[in-house]
Amino acid sequence: MAKILIPTPLRQYVDKKNAVEVGGSTIGELLTGLTTEYAELRRHLFNDEGKLRSFVNVYLNDEDIRYLSKDATPVKDGDTVSIVPSIAGGTRRGASDIK
Amino acid sequence: MIKIEQAAWDVMVSHAESTFPNECCGAMLGTVDGDEKLVRVAAPIKNAFTGAQGARYEIGPEDLLAADAAARKEGMDLVGIFHSHPDCDAYFSETDLKNSCPWYSFVVLSIQKGKFHHANSFLPDPDQTRADKEELQYPR
Repeated sequence: MAKILIPTPLRQYVDKKNAVEVGGSTIGELLTGLTTEYAELRRHLFNDEGKLRSFVNVYLNDEDIRYLSKDATPVKDGDTVSIVPSIAGGTRRGASDIK
Repeated sequence: MIKIEQAAWDVMVSHAESTFPNECCGAMLGTVDGDEKLVRVAAPIKNAFTGAQGARYEIGPEDLLAADAAARKEGMDLVGIFHSHPDCDAYFSETDLKNSCPWYSFVVLSIQKGKFHHANSFLPDPDQTRADKEELQYPR
């Protein structure tokens, strides 16, 4: 089993836990297992095409899975998986600015 | 509603003023009880945007991961993100909306001529199509 750390705003979808233990041999299997058990979480992590949303980064221990084997990255017992959001912005004005 | 304690607020304002005329950014750590968020600690994070930083900011995922780890270690949660708008109002721009994960509270500090002017907090919707203002309480 590996441990998936749940970001604060998403804990409402996993019975308020800050971490969930999930079985699986790859990152893809872990995330599928997580979002099968906690179905409400799925739309926050994946888009309609079933791909991770663009602002969601996944880290295995301290490494970004994009630089490992992405969804096929192997996971072993005791590993820690983190869901890390992308954050960026700026003052450039657009039509949908909220004042 | 998001409430920011004095010590955290002082750090946020100081960081935003000292990085003027560039944008600054950071993490807000504290506690969450339903819709009530209390910010106890503000952690400045290096602006990782590689271009001109006067109108853009970016937080490196590793830095956010470290902030989250620090919060967990202290029994707190990562409850939000703050950044500054130099010589601009504290609105939530289209750039903010389209480039940020919408899970958190986003506090924007307006820094006018190097000094804090006002602030607002926003809650983007999950599809990043809009962001509602959130009640913000900070020391005045």
